[in-house]
Amino acid sequence: MTQAEIKLCSLLLQEHFGEIVEKIGVHLIRTGSQPLRVIAHDTGTSLDQVKKALCVLIQHNLVIYQVHKRGVVEYEAQCSRVLRMLRYPRYIYTAKTLYSDTGELIVEELLLNGKMTMSAVVKKVADRLTETMEDGKTMDYAEVSNTFMRLADTHFVQRCPWVPATENSDPGPLPPAPILVISEKDMYLVPKLSLIGKGKRRRSSDEDATGEPKAKRSKHSTDNKEPIPDDGIYWQANLDRFHQHFRDQAIVSAVANRMDQTSSEIVRTMLRMSEITTPSAAPFTQPLSSNEIFRSLPVGYNISKQVLDQYLTLLADDPLEFVGKSGDSGGGMYVINLHKALGSLATATLESVVQERFGSRCARIFRLVLQKKHLEQKQVEDFAMIPAKEAKDMLYKMLSGNFISLQEIPKTPDHAPSRTFYLYTVNILSAARMLLHRCYKSIANLIERRQFETKENKRLLEKSQRVEAIIASMQATGAEEAQLQEIEEMITAPERQQLETLKRNVNKLDASEIQVDETIFLLESYIESTMKRQ
Amino acid sequence: MADVKVKVQPPDADPVEIENRIIELCHQFPHGITDQVIQNEMPHIEAQQRAVAINRLLSMGQLDLLRSNTGLLYRIKDSQNAGPVSFFLSKMKGSDNQEKLVYQIIEDAGNKGIWSRDIRYKSNLPLTEINKILKNLESKKLIKAVKSVAASKKKVYMLYNLQPDRSVTGGAWYSDQDFESEFVEVLNQQCFKFLQTKAETARESKQNPMIQRNSSFASSHEVWKYICELGISKVELSMEDIETILNTLIYDGKVEMTIIAAKEGTVGSVDGHMKLYRAVNPIIPPTGLVRAPCGLCPVFDDCHEGGEISPSNCIYMTEWLEF
Repeated sequence: MTQAEIKLCSLLLQEHFGEIVEKIGVHLIRTGSQPLRVIAHDTGTSLDQVKKALCVLIQHNLVIYQVHKRGVVEYEAQCSRVLRMLRYPRYIYTAKTLYSDTGELIVEELLLNGKMTMSAVVKKVADRLTETMEDGKTMDYAEVSNTFMRLADTHFVQRCPWVPATENSDPGPLPPAPILVISEKDMYLVPKLSLIGKGKRRRSSDEDATGEPKAKRSKHSTDNKEPIPDDGIYWQANLDRFHQHFRDQAIVSAVANRMDQTSSEIVRTMLRMSEITTPSAAPFTQPLSSNEIFRSLPVGYNISKQVLDQYLTLLADDPLEFVGKSGDSGGGMYVINLHKALGSLATATLESVVQERFGSRCARIFRLVLQKKHLEQKQVEDFAMIPAKEAKDMLYKMLSGNFISLQEIPKTPDHAPSRTFYLYTVNILSAARMLLHRCYKSIANLIERRQFETKENKRLLEKSQRVEAIIASMQATGAEEAQLQEIEEMITAPERQQLETLKRNVNKLDASEIQVDETIFLLESYIESTMKRQ
Repeated sequence: MADVKVKVQPPDADPVEIENRIIELCHQFPHGITDQVIQNEMPHIEAQQRAVAINRLLSMGQLDLLRSNTGLLYRIKDSQNAGPVSFFLSKMKGSDNQEKLVYQIIEDAGNKGIWSRDIRYKSNLPLTEINKILKNLESKKLIKAVKSVAASKKKVYMLYNLQPDRSVTGGAWYSDQDFESEFVEVLNQQCFKFLQTKAETARESKQNPMIQRNSSFASSHEVWKYICELGISKVELSMEDIETILNTLIYDGKVEMTIIAAKEGTVGSVDGHMKLYRAVNPIIPPTGLVRAPCGLCPVFDDCHEGGEISPSNCIYMTEWLEF
């Protein structure tokens, strides 16, 4: 784990879980897998606190445990999983676009709580939705369960591994740590629950009791006493599936930018059809025949079969090479070349960074060296049509930024510089790694700046919070307009201005973190896909 | 009678006579005569006398010595051929053989010119001699020095009245050894605009996608014609020049190219294939990292919390937040 990653993880853990968890988490990330006592000893915290911190981390899937020989249990932190916490807003937003508010709240609850049972999720979400609805309306559990089942069917949520029920009646000595298993087919199996009920408001007033307050309340309390029907079946958000969705989105928008809307719709259909059938790390999707694609096109699009075939041919012939033709049966079999698509997206990211940082002429040289693989100084000047002095300057700037590297080819065994060829080349994988590292550090900087801004104005924030609390309590007890005005004026106009600026800055920094995270996603997917192929 | 070899001094053993005979023979065979032919004609002359005569003719510049795969050829120098050299010789009769040699080497180099070091290699003369000779020849206006655009210190020599080759002067993009960047930029933009408008009209025609796409392509020949008609270039541009400009547009990421097979004889096809160009959009918008100040920061590596440059006191961030 690089320094930048560790710093970022520490900031994230601190913001979400607090000091103690941060200390334990960072220690585990730095030192790898350790047993409980060693952790307590090295960090100087009491065993009790270490246990609690580990509980929190395990609940959120940030730490895993393993039983080693001689019965020692070792805990290991997963740095990459901690970095996913940056992406939570994106996951929630995706769920909202696909399954509207209900889906959004389900995913939010699951992400914030790590693991939950289905009934608990449904209940909580129904309660929250009922809060926001108008008086007299409540959210039915059945609707929420429906959305939950749809999420499970499309693999956005999955079951957590559990302890297998042992067959033999004699359990024997319990293992030091439970061994959790899960089988492929059980992962998305929703238990048959009959969840009946409606969401409750936090402030239960007489209006929404519908005349049976006592009965409802007693039912509620009996619910608590009865064993929860799906105890032990915990669900978590399936981050890989979300990543697959983001990747599909990126490919579709790239096709839309390069070609037109209809082609991007066709590609989206193809990707949707291969969602469940293709494993997420495969370089190609399953071959789809043109007839199948025609049948699965969204209802609103009525293009004829011929036109569809033409579009598919165009997509297959395009220099982008996202779509390839793999056979002729069934009207033509087409695959989407995922690895190539990710490569093109990562390359485009690199080019965009070079362009913004060094200028468009540098970007021209960069793309030239990318396409021609290896070039001499003289050839670069000739092809790019840039005067020699400027071209040299730009090449050296990019060289010191590690976007371009030199390959030496000696003519003589003594490697004399005057008798050696120096060729410029771009190594995409290493440039992507370098950029990824820079992204991590940038996000850490943005978070630090945000915390600094908040700390600077802490006094002002506290004052405004106090004023708001006073106003709220006064409103509840029914105060006069004049008194409210007086209290509000406690915050002067420049202070209000300052608060506005602070809010705007914090929002800007937050939004910027999410944008940098998009870059991180593209680069990480590309690196992962390349490493798997090797 | 046949066996007796009589050494008779032939009546026309006079050296001048021999030379005249040889010249007559050369006139008879304008393509050149070999030693064998002369021998056949004048069998009574000894080899030595023949050699002397031929040498004299050569040094007087009336004969040309050529090598063919059968052997050595002697050819009469006619007035056209002898033009510059006779002119040259008339200027300095009995001049240095070395100068003649150097001149010959430079003439052979044609319009590409030859570097002084290469002249030295070919003639095996020492450097000082070469320099003296070159100065002499230059002052007599027989050769000239042309600065090469590749290495600005290098001078190549060629005959006075020849036009330098494109590779030396750089062709259409160089005027007086200076690379014309604005000219290239202007051409760049014009070509791009042409391709862009073509793609726009194709997209708006809203026909079936195949036709739409094919009509958004332009062959390099079309672009060349358009640029010629625009008349922004004072120098005549060839199709290869336009293709180099279009290649720079490809490296800018604004244009893509495909090669299709075309019948020989269709306009613009080279060796059975044609290059087609099309304006395209970039596939992703500017990426997230460059929207944050850290992505473009020049002092990124020096920045850390608690240092002189840190996120808390970053001036770039302050400016960016005030936007």
